[in-house]
Amino acid sequence: MNNTEQNNSSNAGDIKLKNICKSFGTTEVLKNIDLDIQDGEFLILIGPSGCGKSTLMNLIAGLEDISSGEIIIGGSDVSEKSPKDRDIAMVFQSYALYPTMNVARNISFGLEMRKVPKSEQESIINEVAELLQIDHLLDRKPGQLSGGQRQRVAMGRALARSPKAFLFDEPLSNLDAKLRVEMRTEIKKLHQRLRTTTVYVTHDQVEAMTLADRIAVLKDGVVQQLGTPYEIYNDPANKFVADFMGSPGMNFIECVVLNGNLIVESGNQTFEITVPCSEAIQSSGLDTVLLGIRPEMLTDPKPHHNSSFVQEVVFDVEVTEPMGADTIAIGQWNGVEIQTRLSPETGEVAGNGFALQVDTSKAIVFDPRTGQRIRE
Amino acid sequence: MMSNLFSNLNIGRFVIYLFLIVFALLYLSPLYVMLTTSLKDIEEIRSGNLLALPNDPSFYAWTKAWSSACTGSECEGLAPFFWNSVRIVVPAVLISTMIGAFNGYVLAKWRFRGSEFLFGALLFGCFIPFQVILLPMAMLLGFLGLSNTITGLVLVHVIYGVAFTTLFFRNYYVGIPDELVRAARLDGAGFFAIFRHVFLPLSTSIFVVTIIWQFTQIWNDFLFGVVYSGSGTQPITVALNNLVNTSVGGKEYNVDMAAAIIAALPTLFVYVVAGKYFVRGLTAGAVKG
Repeated sequence: MNNTEQNNSSNAGDIKLKNICKSFGTTEVLKNIDLDIQDGEFLILIGPSGCGKSTLMNLIAGLEDISSGEIIIGGSDVSEKSPKDRDIAMVFQSYALYPTMNVARNISFGLEMRKVPKSEQESIINEVAELLQIDHLLDRKPGQLSGGQRQRVAMGRALARSPKAFLFDEPLSNLDAKLRVEMRTEIKKLHQRLRTTTVYVTHDQVEAMTLADRIAVLKDGVVQQLGTPYEIYNDPANKFVADFMGSPGMNFIECVVLNGNLIVESGNQTFEITVPCSEAIQSSGLDTVLLGIRPEMLTDPKPHHNSSFVQEVVFDVEVTEPMGADTIAIGQWNGVEIQTRLSPETGEVAGNGFALQVDTSKAIVFDPRTGQRIRE
Repeated sequence: MMSNLFSNLNIGRFVIYLFLIVFALLYLSPLYVMLTTSLKDIEEIRSGNLLALPNDPSFYAWTKAWSSACTGSECEGLAPFFWNSVRIVVPAVLISTMIGAFNGYVLAKWRFRGSEFLFGALLFGCFIPFQVILLPMAMLLGFLGLSNTITGLVLVHVIYGVAFTTLFFRNYYVGIPDELVRAARLDGAGFFAIFRHVFLPLSTSIFVVTIIWQFTQIWNDFLFGVVYSGSGTQPITVALNNLVNTSVGGKEYNVDMAAAIIAALPTLFVYVVAGKYFVRGLTAGAVKG
């Protein structure tokens, strides 16, 4: 795109959300949202349905009015401006292509409304169509396109105007699993090429992990955590974030505290587990805490793992679920069902009294009442 | 053959077709009588059988009904009144349909405080009997200086039609996804541009439905026509009534029949031409993007 270089050289595409609140009647949907989105950044908004992520996107787009706060795009306050004056483009979940217009006009409609000269429109259509490999579809109506093609056209429509920012509202959720993965990669490539600021709403944590520069996890209209995919996955702020990201999800086991260590009952034996934040647990004065440990840290014995946080625990495997690349083995700790991730070969033979290797170097601990992290 | 014919399936079929044919004939018989009578001369009508075909078909009655039959004191046939009706119906249908489309667009996609109430109130307009508004409307037309004019009748029909046309368009547009409006707003289209470029092109079938409905209603209207028209501005329904009630000498049944068919032809024509769109439009669901 012609404008890409301009976008890169200036700070045109940064989006600042300052203290955004939104209520519908007496229901508060968003509470004091503060986000600082850098120019060229790919930010993912993720959360369960009803968390306010789509509302937040509509507020940025100007499709709904904020109750209080400020939205600043590219340095200018757009809080009161209508969508068309915010210089942003959006891709909708249902694509929202104009059914009576052909692909070319769908792409150029925004240019037409902005009175871009015809000749310029055509060259932009061709440029965009080539980029998205839809040049052979320009004369078709949306009704004659497959889901993946419609998705591309919807992206083409957003690209055509070279806006300051793209907003994606669950753009892949109407595609089948295989196409979704393909388009995901394509969106990432496109972003790496154009480097346009992107805000992307999803409830799919794999999409979030793979696409984002940073992820904002929302719940009940509050940002629970803002961080890189690595931070969100490995250093979650609270139990909600830890639980939301990862598949299969993190195991949570309520444990009695003994000298900063945690007592785990497994395979009819009792084990004392050491975790990195044992001092913090002691100083918190809690009798019981919630241990959070991801399945991939509960594995079959691996020789290279050798630290003070690795120990062996006897484990009764009740059910195994082969996934191909690995096998999820399910059993109980302290009477709570937990998932472990074994190699397929071990998974075939694992049963009662299996020697499970527990690596607690990344284990985290929560206050069982509040769900907040107990940190070192 | 015989055993096939009397198998359960075929007997069922036979009974169904028999009933359908009998009822079709029953419903068509008045039209048949009208057509044959209009082609007979008055002697044959008096002496002959009602159901008999004409001995010597002639279009005499049709010509007379169109151009020289007496409707009260004038004897110019139905022609001038036919054109009166056209001059009432065409603008009234077009204006009420356009207003309905616009109202429907606003009520379906640009909700505002009280818009649901407004829609409910408009809907209520569909149920107000004609008789109730005769006097107030007459006063309003008098106040506007439109008594006994074509313009006045157009106004009355537009006002009465808007309730129906709004209902049709609003319900149709509710089925069009909101995201289309949002996408168009982000594309820089305003209120009117979205209506023109996105909604109107999607509306062919609902336009056909509304136009047929409005055309039939207004063309067939008698009450407003007889109350609010003057001597030169009567619609064809009123003229038909006058023609049938005016007798010079004996009753000319053949002319009456021809006149009645002439008065009904335009609505029949509209149904035949656009009928398939009517059914399609009534059953059309949401538009998928």
